[in-house]
Amino acid sequence: MIALRIMGGALALCVATTATAQDVRFVACPIYRDTNYHESNPDHHGRRTGCWLVDDPETGIRYDVNDSWSKPDFAYGVLVEGDIKEGAEDTCGGIQLGPVRTSILYDRECPRRSLMAEGYTSRPPLFSERYVMPGFVERDLPDPPYRTMTFSPTFDFDSAFMTFNLSDYALDQAIYYYRQVGADNVSKVIVTGWAATEPEVISGVTLAERLEVAQERVDGIVTTLLRMGIPEDRIETHAYGNAEVSDTEYADGLEETSRRRADITVVVD
Amino acid sequence: MKMAASRLRLPRLAALASATALAVTVGMAQAQVDEEYWWTAGSGEVFPEVRDYPNAAGALRVLVEGGPVDTVGHAFFEPIGPNGRACVTCHQPHDAMSLTPRTAQERWEATGGTDPLFAAWDGSNCPTMPQGERASHSLLLDHGLFRIERPWPPRDLQGNPIETDFTIEVVRDPWGCNTGRAYGLDAEEPTVSVYRRPRPVANLKYILAVGFDYDPKSGLAMELDPETGEPMSGNLMSDRRAQSLSLQMRDAAASHLEMLRDLTDAERAQIADFESRVYAAQQTIGDDIALDEVAEGGAELLQRSEAGLLGIFASPVWSEFDAWAEMSEEEMAALPPETRAFRESVVRGLHLWRTRSFLVNDSAGINQPLGFGNPARNTCQFCHNMSRTGIDVAPGQIDLGTSNQPFADPMPHLPLFRITCTGRLPHPHYGREILTSDPGYALTTGRCLDVGKITTQQMRAMAAREPLFHNGIAADIPGLVDFYDRRYNIQYTPQERQDMINLLTAL
Repeated sequence: MIALRIMGGALALCVATTATAQDVRFVACPIYRDTNYHESNPDHHGRRTGCWLVDDPETGIRYDVNDSWSKPDFAYGVLVEGDIKEGAEDTCGGIQLGPVRTSILYDRECPRRSLMAEGYTSRPPLFSERYVMPGFVERDLPDPPYRTMTFSPTFDFDSAFMTFNLSDYALDQAIYYYRQVGADNVSKVIVTGWAATEPEVISGVTLAERLEVAQERVDGIVTTLLRMGIPEDRIETHAYGNAEVSDTEYADGLEETSRRRADITVVVD
Repeated sequence: MKMAASRLRLPRLAALASATALAVTVGMAQAQVDEEYWWTAGSGEVFPEVRDYPNAAGALRVLVEGGPVDTVGHAFFEPIGPNGRACVTCHQPHDAMSLTPRTAQERWEATGGTDPLFAAWDGSNCPTMPQGERASHSLLLDHGLFRIERPWPPRDLQGNPIETDFTIEVVRDPWGCNTGRAYGLDAEEPTVSVYRRPRPVANLKYILAVGFDYDPKSGLAMELDPETGEPMSGNLMSDRRAQSLSLQMRDAAASHLEMLRDLTDAERAQIADFESRVYAAQQTIGDDIALDEVAEGGAELLQRSEAGLLGIFASPVWSEFDAWAEMSEEEMAALPPETRAFRESVVRGLHLWRTRSFLVNDSAGINQPLGFGNPARNTCQFCHNMSRTGIDVAPGQIDLGTSNQPFADPMPHLPLFRITCTGRLPHPHYGREILTSDPGYALTTGRCLDVGKITTQQMRAMAAREPLFHNGIAADIPGLVDFYDRRYNIQYTPQERQDMINLLTAL
């Protein structure tokens, strides 16, 4: 199930995983459990701690969504999409999800719910495998011969914000790939924004992304491409609704997440 | 101005010990600042390579890399505008290249209010007020605040109006500069007047350092300098309206110096050269405690260290004082009791800085939109993360609540604005309406989400430039610690509070 549009020649895909339906997908108010990991783990000073939990309203099952790189806001509802992490220890008081994404739904206010630690320790915060290094650090990119490649940052629901060390990693990879290939060998960079505009009812809530968010995703990416030195006349843009599922590695195999993306295709001559 | 590097004798530190708490108290004595330290624009004296300036905690050191500076004809020191001011007028070495209310008060007394420092444009509460009266300059004299006039609606770098997603109304206008016919939202050219402390012109290589290609708070690549095409750090000014020294100089020349012409290339190069070589930090505590003895406090390390490094990957923030933690009991026992007590307090403060976590909530720029969540439990160094200066590499536009109600203290001397967010979504932490004394970064971006965000300030030489925060909401370092304690419910014990104060004073 590939939504990549072929433009100007055959495109090679950057495929690492196959998107499948995620194990759980629901909307609910999040719960913050105020654990304080560093007190018992002095090696983890200054890193994010605490637990984020969300109860599935249909099953009552409490899930631990801490592995979501974009954390909830306890004042708003969240859309949870994730896979159950089999065999994972319960460190927060819920079934661990991972990979998992949580999208804040700013139009759904929630009572602020927080719990005491109650013996739960949380666990060492994740260090993203998608850590965006400073510019002077060499990227791990493919060796020659170079080919046309697509990098597909994903987004939270109805958002065009490039989440740090998640979606900006894919964009960074595209930019440094462009530089590695060399401007003389790239005919264009095609940016295609997608929005999951098809309405769905999840936990009794009808959700559909705005069509405009597809263009907003493009605009943000183009702003960054220009600031990073890619010439405007080398950039081609498109924005579409009715996004289909993609196999992009940046969705971590979460099928519905993969719809909310942009495709940045570096077209190599 | 005299050149002699005199050291003012200060009362010895009071070391208060009890069975349960040890409080080493600094800042109790008020150092007298006299005419010796005032730098008059156009004085023509040589700016020394190294000089120590007394303050209530001990002494500040200001040093210039590369040797003394001849200020004759130098654009930073000469009154090149029509109002008699130079850059140095509001960036005094004694005040860590900022300006304190005490210095302003002394100038008022010494000159009867005629010093160019009190220029009507921004050295008074509003140019329409009677300039000969002290009350017309109360914000500068009592709070160290200058008037900053921003266009409404905000303009982009090309001067084009920005479409905003909020409206602004004036709720309180104590000085008439936001509702008058000449100044304010109803003026022919609408403006918003806010009041801010001058940022120190020192340690700027850290402020200007670009750590990463991307700004995680905007989700975009760092903005480019329109003059050089190079990325800019975004940490130079409190509202990020000018991000390079060149752009800041132009902004300052047109406003603070009231210049009708642009700075020449030579003037800008001269100012930038000087500003890039100045370093300032607290050097001693009281008469006897040298911050660079065993440890690496003071200004010299700032000069020779690399800028822009995240503490977690380079030298941890305030590792300057790690060596004090590693001293043996025998070495500590050999110290004078006050010195030992102060060092131990700083070490405890350092430990608190790194390990004492607290819940950060409803602070846009932290809790939203980066993905850290709301609330987020973390420590001081989470945001104050750059080695040597404690600024935010990210860059640091954050709403701590220093301007926005309900978190900001009542500040009846400041204007109050009602912001109404008109976009698709309300502000995530305040809703549709926000009461603020300074919209901050939103006056640059035009975005409701940025209301009250102020760029994280460097943390060096704070004892020499109180009051603190952009609007002077903290009268001193204890006030700053108390603000954070209250805002984020940290619940420092009296001992912990004092240890944090001593750490921050040593910077």
